[in-house]
Amino acid sequence: MNTLELPERIAEASPRFKARIAGVFYLLTILTRMFVEILVRNRLVVSDDAAATATNIMAHESIWQWGFAGDIIAFASYIALTALLYELFRPVNRSLSLVGTFFSLVASVVQALSSLFHLAPLILLGRAAYLRVFTDEQLQALALVFLRLRAAAYHNIGLVFFGFYCLLVGILILRSNFLPRILGVLMALAGLSYVLFLSPPLVRSLQPYILVFPGVGQISLTLWLLVMGVNCQRWKEQASIAGK
Amino acid sequence: MRTAGMMGRAAEASPRSKARITGVFYLVTILTGVFAQGFVSGRLVVDGDAAATAANILTHGSLFQLGFAVYLIEMACNVTMTALFYDLLKPAGRSVSLLAAFLGLAGCVIKTFSRVFFIAPLFVLGGAHYLNVFSLEQLQALALLFLKVNDRGAAIALVFFGFYALLTGYLIVRSNFLPRILGVLGILGGLGWLSFLYVPLGYRLFPYTAALALLGALSLVLWLLVVGVNEQRWREQASAAGNWRS
Repeated sequence: MNTLELPERIAEASPRFKARIAGVFYLLTILTRMFVEILVRNRLVVSDDAAATATNIMAHESIWQWGFAGDIIAFASYIALTALLYELFRPVNRSLSLVGTFFSLVASVVQALSSLFHLAPLILLGRAAYLRVFTDEQLQALALVFLRLRAAAYHNIGLVFFGFYCLLVGILILRSNFLPRILGVLMALAGLSYVLFLSPPLVRSLQPYILVFPGVGQISLTLWLLVMGVNCQRWKEQASIAGK
Repeated sequence: MRTAGMMGRAAEASPRSKARITGVFYLVTILTGVFAQGFVSGRLVVDGDAAATAANILTHGSLFQLGFAVYLIEMACNVTMTALFYDLLKPAGRSVSLLAAFLGLAGCVIKTFSRVFFIAPLFVLGGAHYLNVFSLEQLQALALLFLKVNDRGAAIALVFFGFYALLTGYLIVRSNFLPRILGVLGILGGLGWLSFLYVPLGYRLFPYTAALALLGALSLVLWLLVVGVNEQRWREQASAAGNWRS
């Protein structure tokens, strides 16, 4: 009896199931990011107006805290997605899949660390006695400086490394037999758009069009993974050829 | 026909071409690092002089911006090199190679993140209206402070790169497919970077450590680019370790 149960328990999930779970994590990442960007930061942060930003954050402190939670959930689920995609793409090319995974880990950790700067305004604006050596206006300005640092870590560093990751995922999809090529093209274009964040002036001049490819590419891949998964039989063929 | 095509598409690169690609990324890591550190950071940042540093950054704004981008390209190449080197050294010791890759990756994350403090001076010196609540001297001091934090972040990363160099050097010595002397040089460079465990010592020894590490790194890069690895011995060691396919 026991020996019969054992193989089932140690059996790996099918590639299609893994792909669907990856789709779930991707969707969770996209939704939490949209929540934080649209409903929290865009609403409360007024660019170049330190006083208004400070007033907004302190008046909606719990929303700001929920924004932090959303950020962290997004980064954590992206790391889960990264691990699943590593497994999924390993039969295509193990080295490329590993390089991509490393890129995504760097990007995720850098972005998670950027949450440090999301929390900084709460400390600066918290009216602690030791901070009274600064004027209110100075504390508000410092809070906005930290938010600028958050944006730089998130966009100018994090997104660049995500760009390299998306580019590699695109190449891996193109070289795979179990996912449609068009998704590979879209992800590669998404990746290249993100890599442009290396040059902030270029990004400013291309706003908001620069986000078209990342949006289209990632949403299509998410939906495909969720609905279709991968072609199981072809995945197994490619895996057995790759010797793993 | 179809399976043949599939095999071609799914095939892994040979150890020698992997070694060459690793060498290319290693070389670009070194060159971009030297450029950003020597020609941007070293030229524009005046140690202990916030006003001069601020003036330099503002007059050479686009060079400073370029330095930031080059720093990121350096780290992207470093990340790629770390993943590829893991694969290459795996036959010499799988667990040690994995440990080395994780330490290298940690170094990359720390160094990449600390670059946010490199770009920060542009925000505080940019003349935004809301910063008028600080005096010019205060903003300049703040800018130099951020640059110092960036520097210390890189120093933390150097310790991790030191451990990385120690382990990869050890693996090269143990390997049959790369000359031992390259491993010895790597170990010496790695020991040098560990001087940053006591930061003042690290900075005092920096010129010597950097020269030693550069010698080791460039010899390794040159070897990887020109000779690659001894492919037959690599395959022998890989199959002896039983992990050629895993």
